Amino acid sequence: MMNDFILFLPEFYFTIAALIYFGLSLKKTSEPWALQKWALTLAGIGLIVTVAASRQHGMLFFDCYRVDLFSQVFKVLLAMGTFWVIFSSSELKGIDGRQHAEYYFLMFICTLAMMMLVSSVELLTIYVAIELSSYSLYLMVPMRRNADEFSETGVKYFMIGVTASAMMLFGISLLFGATNTTYVSQIVVKLPALLGQPVAIVGLVLSLAGFFFKLAVFPFHIWAPDVYQGSANQVTAYIATASKMAAAALIIRFTGFSMGASPALANFLVVLCVLSMTFGNLVALIQKDIKRLLAYSSIAHAGYMLMGILALGERGYAAAIYYAMAYLVMNYACFMVIMKIADDGHNLQIKELAGLHKRSPLLAMTLMMGLFGLAGIPPTAGFTGKFLVFAAAVEKGYLWLAIVGMINATISLYYYLIVIKAAYLLKPVEEFPAIRVDGMTRAMSLVLVGLMVYLGLFFNQFMDLTEAAAKSLF
Amino acid sequence: MTSMEMAGFPILTAILMSTVLGLFSILLIPPERTKLVKQVSMFWATVGLILTLWLYFNFDHNKGGLQFVERVLWVKSLGIYWFHGVDGINMPMLLLTAVVLFTGVWTMWELEYRAKEFFALMFLLVAGVYGMFLSMDLFWMFVWYDVSLFPMYPLISIWGGTRKEYGAMKLTLYLLAGSALILPAIIYAWVQGGAVTFDLFELQRIGFSLYDQKILFVMLYLGFGILAAVWPFHTWSPVGHVAAPTAVSMIHAGVLMKLGAYGILRIGMTLCPQGLGYWSDLMALLACIGIVYGALVGLAQTDLKYVIGYSSVSHMGIVGLGLATMTVSGINGAVFQMFAHGVMTALFFSSVGYIYDKTHTKVIPELGGMSKTMPIASAFFIIAALAGIGVPLMASFWAELLVFIAAVQVFPVGGIFALVGLIISALFMLRVVQRTFYGEKNEKFAHLPDVSPFLAVPRIILIGVILFFGFFPKVMLDVIQSAVIPFVGSF
Repeated sequence: MMNDFILFLPEFYFTIAALIYFGLSLKKTSEPWALQKWALTLAGIGLIVTVAASRQHGMLFFDCYRVDLFSQVFKVLLAMGTFWVIFSSSELKGIDGRQHAEYYFLMFICTLAMMMLVSSVELLTIYVAIELSSYSLYLMVPMRRNADEFSETGVKYFMIGVTASAMMLFGISLLFGATNTTYVSQIVVKLPALLGQPVAIVGLVLSLAGFFFKLAVFPFHIWAPDVYQGSANQVTAYIATASKMAAAALIIRFTGFSMGASPALANFLVVLCVLSMTFGNLVALIQKDIKRLLAYSSIAHAGYMLMGILALGERGYAAAIYYAMAYLVMNYACFMVIMKIADDGHNLQIKELAGLHKRSPLLAMTLMMGLFGLAGIPPTAGFTGKFLVFAAAVEKGYLWLAIVGMINATISLYYYLIVIKAAYLLKPVEEFPAIRVDGMTRAMSLVLVGLMVYLGLFFNQFMDLTEAAAKSLF
Repeated sequence: MTSMEMAGFPILTAILMSTVLGLFSILLIPPERTKLVKQVSMFWATVGLILTLWLYFNFDHNKGGLQFVERVLWVKSLGIYWFHGVDGINMPMLLLTAVVLFTGVWTMWELEYRAKEFFALMFLLVAGVYGMFLSMDLFWMFVWYDVSLFPMYPLISIWGGTRKEYGAMKLTLYLLAGSALILPAIIYAWVQGGAVTFDLFELQRIGFSLYDQKILFVMLYLGFGILAAVWPFHTWSPVGHVAAPTAVSMIHAGVLMKLGAYGILRIGMTLCPQGLGYWSDLMALLACIGIVYGALVGLAQTDLKYVIGYSSVSHMGIVGLGLATMTVSGINGAVFQMFAHGVMTALFFSSVGYIYDKTHTKVIPELGGMSKTMPIASAFFIIAALAGIGVPLMASFWAELLVFIAAVQVFPVGGIFALVGLIISALFMLRVVQRTFYGEKNEKFAHLPDVSPFLAVPRIILIGVILFFGFFPKVMLDVIQSAVIPFVGSF
């Protein structure tokens, strides 16, 4: 019993944190800075708890819930993403002060739901966890000052999200009908024999659609640009970092159960991978709003991540996990700078970055490193991530796919360079004041830059970790 | 080779670290103290030069082979090694890099605008160059290769001149499009070698099938060929050179372009000799077209930097032609030409940079009679031009001689065709010299000062290097041969 409790410790901790903030949200007034400070403390302890529980493994709740190194690695990433986003919430001007307690409450709930998601190995558990995280996000997205201006966003996200869940639920019911079980491990045993039947194919594709929706893989991406642009900057950062981790984990787990050789699945993923990379990068070329640009780049990055997954092997999954890790750091680095510059919570345009290197050299450097990382330039983690997923794909004979990926990386470099050019070269139209960067942000910037280079060059021990995590999938 | 070899003090890592430490120490200096930035840059460039010279004199060319080897396992599960070594092929390149960095920093002594960022980026670039030349591990080679490319973008677009943003973007995208072929090729080589090692020489020992060699070689050739300005992938090069500030042009044309040819030689030819055999006709053809085309287009240029840019296309064609012959003298000549051209172009850009800084023009018809207003600056340019033509007793003479002897034997038609290109190139160089430095004196520039003794020193060093290796080519050829003879023997 005690052992089971330890297995569930991170989730249990975040439940309590959410309850605390549920209580606080009932108060009529509260100081925003105090709320943030306590939330940051809670998230920090949460991160420590999650790291402490990272070597646990076992099964819970009638084998619906699997705690292994894979799930624990992703839980650490989720806790870290949450901690970082709360760290950047010190100036949460994009959200009305009265809603701050709810904002933290929903964020803790969502993190809890996603932690459950990465451990779930049974279809209904997965569904419940996905819905719990989705509903928290449905509430967080429209939570923005001047909500009228962006009211379309919340409705759009909700409608598309609900449609995706409906399809997924329908897919799950078909899968259950075909295989008489909701345990993923048993489904994959029975499924290959059934793949001749339309019911199984439709069921599988529809249920995967729900996960692809979360990761914003083409053609399930349509919500991403509008939601990125329409949500408060912090909420966007949360969706772009933490929530992406859960989606990636789920897809890896799901394909991991297929035990390798499945040409149909691999071909399906190859098509999605190429479309996602190419579409995301091409549309990003013409964006003016930096959050929209990052939304399209996230679609492209979902494609790169799929390249590791579609190798359907241990090395591929390890590469995808590493890629997710690198993506979390780089993407957060970019968002941190955006949140700091747009500290009144408005949507940042690329041209507003003009003269950033004078207003704050440190933030400019962090942004540049983050963007170079996303573009896959060494010696950053982004390069190593791309290198690993390409290596996994080429090892399975997809040389052409690696070339397509590299050509895409070259295309993406163009729009990342446009942003860097704005930050380092353009003269601002009007004089913007210098940005005051407090010691905490300063330290965080240096940590992020250091982490990006460290992950990128000294990846031996991270390789060991991700490979062990990938091994624990089987 | 055993799994770990460390011969005493890791001198090669020290050379590489001299630039990395230079980068970090520059970053720590407050931006307004530009003088200190330059002194620190100069210090680290000197450290690199001294270490490299020490290495050059202690390199045993009788023994040959890979020397000063450092090899440590870096990533176990993929077989990546921190693996450095010098042989006769990269030794001249290291010397070239050290000399060009040293003179480049000195040349930029008068820079005031955002000096800290400039020198930091320059050291980052050179760290990449050193790393690429020193590494014998494919993963690290690619990492350093890319590290050396991307600082070009800010360097050109912030401190550049004519059409700088266009030039910077074109150059960056072209060169990284080249790495779009290199990285998959490297990974493919790793996979075909059993997915256990990125060590270049272990992969060479494993060997690849003819089919794989053909695919790999053409990918590497095209990928690195873009950086080596192989025709028809050269168009970024003149534009980029024209846009770049002086020291960046020096490093870029002098050293960075050599990375492309070096990549073809070191990775492409080491791993796929039969692949080269299959593609050598194409390689020779493109090289010959490059030699003639560069000279012809150079003939029509009115901008001094464009002239040098196109002459680089022509001269890098000679390197390509030398490699394609697959003979000892051809490869000897190609490596020597890489060195000689590097020093010569650095001198070229360095003197044009000075003239442009003072007159604010580099259009040939607007200059005219410069030898009367700036005799010393003119002398530097004219010496570089003579070296470019390949006048005897200049380093490039020996290099070109070796390449053409081999080329005429192996590709008689192409070789003679290329020799014609050489004559055209002499013609256009002399024409530029005549129009820019002789003839009617332009009174507008009469009051401008000539090169001060302090700023003349780096240029004189470059001339000294050109003449030294022109008089004593054996000093360089002995080193180069120690690697090339066994290399050609292994084909």
